[in-house]
Amino acid sequence: MFTRQFSIAVPIFLGVYLFQEAVITQFRLPGGGFSIMMIFALTWAVLSPTEIAAVIGFAAGFLMDLSQSASGPFGQWTLIMLLAGYAISYIGFGDDNVHANAIGIIFFVVVANFFVEVAYALTSALLGVQLGSFTQLLINLFGMSIWALLVSPLLLPLFSRLHALLFDSRSSI
Amino acid sequence: MRNGGRARLLLVVLIVTSLFLITLDLRGVKVIDGFKQGTQTVVSPFQRAGSVVFTPIKNFFSDVTHLGRTRNQIEKLEAENANLKSKLINRKNADAQLKQLKSILDLAGTAGYKVVNARVISNGSSQSFSQTITIDSGANAGIKKNMTVLSQYGVAGVVKDVYPSTALIQLASDPSFRIGARIAGTQQIGILTGRGNRTAALQLLDNSTTVKEGDVLLSRGSIANRPYVPGVPLGVVTAVDNSPGAVAQTATVRYYTNFSTLGVVAIVVSGSATDPGDALVPAKPRVTPIPTVTVFVTPSPSPTAK
Repeated sequence: MFTRQFSIAVPIFLGVYLFQEAVITQFRLPGGGFSIMMIFALTWAVLSPTEIAAVIGFAAGFLMDLSQSASGPFGQWTLIMLLAGYAISYIGFGDDNVHANAIGIIFFVVVANFFVEVAYALTSALLGVQLGSFTQLLINLFGMSIWALLVSPLLLPLFSRLHALLFDSRSSI
Repeated sequence: MRNGGRARLLLVVLIVTSLFLITLDLRGVKVIDGFKQGTQTVVSPFQRAGSVVFTPIKNFFSDVTHLGRTRNQIEKLEAENANLKSKLINRKNADAQLKQLKSILDLAGTAGYKVVNARVISNGSSQSFSQTITIDSGANAGIKKNMTVLSQYGVAGVVKDVYPSTALIQLASDPSFRIGARIAGTQQIGILTGRGNRTAALQLLDNSTTVKEGDVLLSRGSIANRPYVPGVPLGVVTAVDNSPGAVAQTATVRYYTNFSTLGVVAIVVSGSATDPGDALVPAKPRVTPIPTVTVFVTPSPSPTAK
């Protein structure tokens, strides 16, 4: 069971990572753009139990740290995404109001996206990484949340189907 | 209960692993570097392919996003560019890149810099609040860390990381970007800091010196020309802060380089033996006089006037 899940999950994660690095990064989108890897990981985290969500967050964060454009120390995204995955699953998993409702999942993903970026900004500031002016930071934070709000509904059907394929769920959004 | 305990144990193990990675990285242990380099080597062909496929789409979106902001400017330039439009309409991206490249080579040639040209294959994600690009040349082309990167208008950034066939460039708009700047025509110096967009903050070092709107800034240069070669145009002062309590004057600077349209850049692999001084200051646009046409009317002889 674990081997099957692992062998399916690895290409999916690598595919999303490659798409982010080769396609999404071609566009300098206004307001900071979006991270498809983050939206993917957070969507899967909402749909998974806590321990799996933590592993999903860890794997996604590790890949985000491998990205050339990661400005902080290696492991920063890993830690933040791990905690975000665990937290979002802890709050959302098992709640039918969230699971049975696509809007609920999107809401969770967008809010989590915002808080993950805030956490990244705060830890970066603690670690001495320059983040620019406060205004620019706010523009980026809200810009990224708006992008996540626009993109999540488009990607949710695909991500939830992949999740169902991997974890053998009986239903998908 | 058992499941909850297992989840907590797993969480603790993963947190400790993450903290371990952060500690290793902050202490400068290069365990992960090889892995990161390997990943970049694998990803770069895909980025190149992505760049080729998506450049036309990227250019279209770039035009759309800048339309509102520069409407007035576009209207003003429309008349001047009317004769060029017909020529440009059928040109492809290669032509645009060639033009950028020519300007860069002109700039580098005037200063006597030896440069390596490279194409931009990826714009870094802004999720980390950084401003970076990836180019398709790396250590194999002689590029090293901390080399100046030029655009057709001036400084574009600095080489942050080098891989065998690619390199990561920190753009001058990055908030952690710092460069020593000199006001053209004077020896007044200051420090220019990126702000995350096309503007930058200039902090003068001497409180007895002054800066005014329209002043052109050039790079001050570093020891052995790394990370910055001297004399490269940076931008123009657009606003000056004259706060009475300030220790030294500060100003807002608009970069010459438009970071959202970078297609080709040049990396200065060897600086010139002499400081080019103000030789690279961009020429101010000159008004071309419109010729006046005078028409002389000569009355034709009337057939009735005999």
